Amino acid sequence: MLNKLKVAGLNVEVGYKYPTMVKQAEYYKTDFEKADITIDIPEETLVSLQKENPHLSMDDCEYIFTGARFYESVLDFGGMLLHSSCIMTDGYAYMFTADSGVGKSTHAGLWRKYLGDDKVKVINDDKPVIRMKGDEVFACGTPWSGKTDMNMDIKAPIGAVVCVERAEKSFVERITPSVAIPLLMQQTLRPREIDKMNTLLDVLNKLLTNVPVYRLGCDISKEAFEVCYNTVKVR
Amino acid sequence: MKIKEGYLLRTVAGSNIVVPVGEGSMDFSGVIQLNDVGAFLWKILENGSDSQNLVSQLLKEYDVDEATAKNDVEDFLNKLREAGLVE
Repeated sequence: MLNKLKVAGLNVEVGYKYPTMVKQAEYYKTDFEKADITIDIPEETLVSLQKENPHLSMDDCEYIFTGARFYESVLDFGGMLLHSSCIMTDGYAYMFTADSGVGKSTHAGLWRKYLGDDKVKVINDDKPVIRMKGDEVFACGTPWSGKTDMNMDIKAPIGAVVCVERAEKSFVERITPSVAIPLLMQQTLRPREIDKMNTLLDVLNKLLTNVPVYRLGCDISKEAFEVCYNTVKVR
Repeated sequence: MKIKEGYLLRTVAGSNIVVPVGEGSMDFSGVIQLNDVGAFLWKILENGSDSQNLVSQLLKEYDVDEATAKNDVEDFLNKLREAGLVE
């Protein structure tokens, strides 16, 4: 029996049984007749994936590889993964993107700390989806949020994308699409199939045409939050 | 000469970019950005062309003299050869 989930507005059937997925998927459960995406990884495939990745448990493998299948499939529906910590405040989503370990979640955490948990919701701490609808692009929560369980079944129009790097003195500057493209292409799954690649570039085109992208150099100070917030916040 | 199989040229938010797909993505995982002249030449090279034809197409499309066009074409072809993008 596959579980029926509503993820990023899509009907997704997923087979899972291990505790992480059971817990992460709980809030996305729904009912529907026809699935848009079906993810059913046979047990023997998971076993061999686990053997190839001995540092992962079966539970980890199920969580990671169901997620990988989802992000690959979502391209068929005009959606792309952006490896980022994504929060929502005042009705807009802000996506902080960077390689793992740079501090994107930490910076998103500063927004929660200084604006307050009642004003800031975490859409997805690590792997939100961007979907196009008309001329707007939305950030959507998914059950797959990396190492933390911070994700919500919500979506919001994207206010800004912020490429995070560490710096001793905080700065933020708007960057052009041509500077942003390679940075964002590094933080998504790159499909080999030409149709999926075309969709990815359609989403990226819509994103970069409609949403400002910034480069943020920051540490973990309150000043870093203020420098960023005062510039990137939609007014 | 001709652009190798496995590369996709697209315009994204006003930028001409080339990304590898299929077999191409095995050798190269970056993003190549081209200016408008580069994109123009790339499109001709997708169907195969010699450098003389590239120069004459460039002269037809852009307001440049022949020496500049020849230089631009040679520069561009050298970059493509160095990156292993043509065969």
